[in-house]
Amino acid sequence: MIDHSPCNEKTDVELVGMSLIDSMHFLCLTKRYEDKLLRYIIRISKFSREDAEDVLQDVFIKTYFNLNGFDKDLKFSSWIYRIAHNEAVSAIRKKVVRPSIALEVEDLVKFGDSFDMTKEMDNALDRKMIDEALSKLDEKYREVLVLRFLDEKDYVEIADILKKPISTVGNLILRGKKLFKEEYEKLVVDKGRN
Amino acid sequence: MENKNISQIVLERIKSDGLKPISKNVFSIKRVLFWTAVVVSLIVGAFTFSLVLSSLLNNDWDLYSKFGFNFILKTLPYFWIISLIIFVILGDYYYRKTLHGYRHTLIVVVGAYMASSIIFGSLFYILKLGEVVEKSLSEVSPAYRNIILNRHEVWAHPEDGLLSGKITRINDGTIEVIDSNGITWIIDTTSSINRGKVEIEVGERIKIMGDIIDTNNFSADEIRPWLGVR
Repeated sequence: MIDHSPCNEKTDVELVGMSLIDSMHFLCLTKRYEDKLLRYIIRISKFSREDAEDVLQDVFIKTYFNLNGFDKDLKFSSWIYRIAHNEAVSAIRKKVVRPSIALEVEDLVKFGDSFDMTKEMDNALDRKMIDEALSKLDEKYREVLVLRFLDEKDYVEIADILKKPISTVGNLILRGKKLFKEEYEKLVVDKGRN
Repeated sequence: MENKNISQIVLERIKSDGLKPISKNVFSIKRVLFWTAVVVSLIVGAFTFSLVLSSLLNNDWDLYSKFGFNFILKTLPYFWIISLIIFVILGDYYYRKTLHGYRHTLIVVVGAYMASSIIFGSLFYILKLGEVVEKSLSEVSPAYRNIILNRHEVWAHPEDGLLSGKITRINDGTIEVIDSNGITWIIDTTSSINRGKVEIEVGERIKIMGDIIDTNNFSADEIRPWLGVR
């Protein structure tokens, strides 16, 4: 094991440069992103942890292969999220399963705060229902909502990750929020009836 | 989340498999290629627009009253209009493949592409580059002549008073013209007027309005240049 404590003082861009010289430094980058990306992959794919780890390995290998293609006009995080997104989507398609979201408790709090739903609906947020409501959304809305409210990316970052114009991202988020609320409300009503 | 091993596993894979990052040159070449494709589709698009413009401006609009709306519909430059649409789509496609191409909406990219095609296409038209291309194509390619340029079809109806062809011989009061079907016509020009920049020279392609006399004789009322009436 190398001592990667000095890594913390380096920026992502510096680490990219250092990794190109010595692959040992790439460990610093992967360590920095592995938790975030693993969570992100699980959220959008609902893969088991083991499957998500396999995808993440491929993400890191692909990132390493393409280090020379890293565009310094982007944030490194946007670039590596883009790779993770593409790999996850590709893995989902290979598995031919409809992805849904795997939410953790902290995700639930983030989501509830973002949508201010507890006030509006006067209902305790139900993790399973949020999960179900998100899963019912079209992929294009689901991915922007996850990036915006769970990974807390700004519009520019989301645009760079998904390779879409910022105005499109804005519209998707707006529409996605509306659709999500509608789906969630339907589920609340159905639950009340039952 | 505890996932201590992934980073180590990846590093071990990199080392054991001897993986190396793809060369910077590969990315540079890819970027240059995509930009080249963007520029090429822009230039071809501009040329195409100049041909659309040339066809529209040189169409025989004045014959609308005589031969009806169908005549105009038949002579519109569909091939070039479809080509222009294809090059707009290609331009957008390649632009999106460039590094930051995704940042602009379809409307912005297509709008910019159309604006460039119109500006440069008009310039090419003014410089007569489009005309040169159209003339060369119609002389070199039989396919272009027979299929693409529907003007040939429209002007191949001597029974309706519309004839076109290449001048093969000039006599006193008559000219000989070979049409697109390879038939040689003797054209009586004694009472005809020349319209626009028509040049009565051997090898020139012309359009003739008049009346058919018999299988090989045609009496001309008006002779026009192949391209346009000006």
